Amino acid sequence: MKTGIQSWLDERFGLSIITKFLKEKTVPQHKHSIWYYTGSAILIFFTIQIITGFMLVFYYKPTLEGANESVARIMTEVPLGWIIRSVHSWASSFMIAFVFIHLLSTWLTKSYRNPRELTWMSGVFLLVVTLLSGFTGYLLPWDDLSLSATKVGTDIPSSIPLVGVWVTKFLRGGEDVTGDTLTRFFGFHVSIIPVFMFILLGVHIYLIQKQGMSLPLSAEAKKEKVREIPFWPNFVYREMIVWLLLLGILFSLAIFFPPSLDKAADLMAPAPEGIKPEWYFLFLFQTLKIFPANIFFLPGDTLAVFLILVVGIMFFFLPLIDNKPAERKGRIITVIALVVIGYAVVMTVWSLL
Amino acid sequence: MKLKHSLFTRRQFLNGLLGGWLGALLASFLYPVIKFVFPPTREPDQVILPFADFRDMVPNSVKNFLWGTKPGILKKNDDGSYLAFVGVCTHLDCNVSYLEDQRKFFCACHDGWYDENGLNIGGPPPRPLRRLVVSIEGEDLIIKREGEERAEGK
Amino acid sequence: MRLRGKKFLGLFLLVIFFLSFFILEFNFAQQVTQEEQEEIIQAKEDQEKIIPSPQNIKESTGIYVFVAWMWIAIFVLIYILRLKIREVDRLLKLRFLSAKKK
Repeated sequence: MKTGIQSWLDERFGLSIITKFLKEKTVPQHKHSIWYYTGSAILIFFTIQIITGFMLVFYYKPTLEGANESVARIMTEVPLGWIIRSVHSWASSFMIAFVFIHLLSTWLTKSYRNPRELTWMSGVFLLVVTLLSGFTGYLLPWDDLSLSATKVGTDIPSSIPLVGVWVTKFLRGGEDVTGDTLTRFFGFHVSIIPVFMFILLGVHIYLIQKQGMSLPLSAEAKKEKVREIPFWPNFVYREMIVWLLLLGILFSLAIFFPPSLDKAADLMAPAPEGIKPEWYFLFLFQTLKIFPANIFFLPGDTLAVFLILVVGIMFFFLPLIDNKPAERKGRIITVIALVVIGYAVVMTVWSLL
Repeated sequence: MKLKHSLFTRRQFLNGLLGGWLGALLASFLYPVIKFVFPPTREPDQVILPFADFRDMVPNSVKNFLWGTKPGILKKNDDGSYLAFVGVCTHLDCNVSYLEDQRKFFCACHDGWYDENGLNIGGPPPRPLRRLVVSIEGEDLIIKREGEERAEGK
Repeated sequence: MRLRGKKFLGLFLLVIFFLSFFILEFNFAQQVTQEEQEEIIQAKEDQEKIIPSPQNIKESTGIYVFVAWMWIAIFVLIYILRLKIREVDRLLKLRFLSAKKK
């Protein structure tokens, strides 16, 4: 039953196609359907990042002289600025954590099976873009820790022969990390990366709507049809409960455990002791650490980066590699997946010891 | 007095409750956002300047000082006393200048004129220039907001 | 007309009830005077690190009140949502059964 305004708009936009689709969309209910909540959780945190990001950008100054001081001003002078910054910082960790959970659930239930290969691939790009967003944002307060983390992080590509140096120069805006790097990272963080994020999200979400929700192998094998509930309103009301709990936890943590700010970075000072990247990069960081300086005739870090790249490419093409998911090949791939996940967890814990 | 029919259905009641509480929660989140986006004005209560910088001013001349983020004008009168104004035109916020030969303040934006005491005498300005209270204490020249003295109970 | 009037009055009172929480919050957030502000900024500049924390007892109380209010609102909303879910699930079952009967 349409109100006057709704039909006026619909005559012009023709969006009733979308509302009709959403009303008919269904979500399967089975043993593993709890993982369906992870996607919208990511979107909620992304929305929070955009809103708090808009507010922070009103006061942040992306220059060598102004960066640290403007963040200090946000935290001390601007009314409730410390809460906004704290929410932005915590929500980035939450968003990346849920991206990992979402990744694990789709990986282990093999949701990337035919016809959902492109959904997986756009998802891998989204993972990379989200991690880059975290990486570029981390530099912006411009304190000693974030400067060192950026120096190390942007140095990693340079160990790739031939092209690596150019990647590093592209990221840094020159040979070294300077004020130009900061401004460039700011541009990446607030403008370039969000554009790519939206494009990829558009592709990812469109594919999901068009192909419907995937079922895990065990549910597909069943003879009778899986029970489905309507997306609107049944599933959405359930999602809202999840969102409310997540937001409550986010704001409580942000208010009681706000991040601090060290004084401005000194480009000439030696690296501070015990530098570590953010938690989501720790497994890569530890991997690089354990490789010896030289293996045969190759420098250790070149080999490490090369290995990581190879694993990354196989990861991207996983739907094409795992083309017989229900058979023995598929089960072996699942075991390999569990080994990789175990490796990442062990590396992360090791780096914290 | 019992009603024949209920005012709303159970579904409407539940929907109203849901919408109402959701609105209240979102409104409480809106409060810090608004406070953040509209920070309080940064005008100072008083400004303390070294008197030495202003002692040797020629009568009927002005010197600028910083009043928060606005320009302040300190004028030395013919009898040696001082007047202080916020040097912002009361019409549309342009900075005003002092024309010594004419003994008038002038705003170039829309041809606004004030006399030597800041009273608006010509052009669009609707009010006189905002006055500030000047006092000299030892080595310091203290400029305060008008009304500040009254607030301190002096 | 009297029925409608009562409806609007009820809605109006409900809105006022919820707005009152908004206003309460306004009262609790303390406006720090400029002098205190400058002192705090100076003290913080001398520090190596800036650790944000509430400035005074009114602000810290305000924060606790806000967090408590937020969780109360969240639990109330979850309760209402569970009722809504029960309602729509029941409707679904009825329609499902009636469709089967046909």
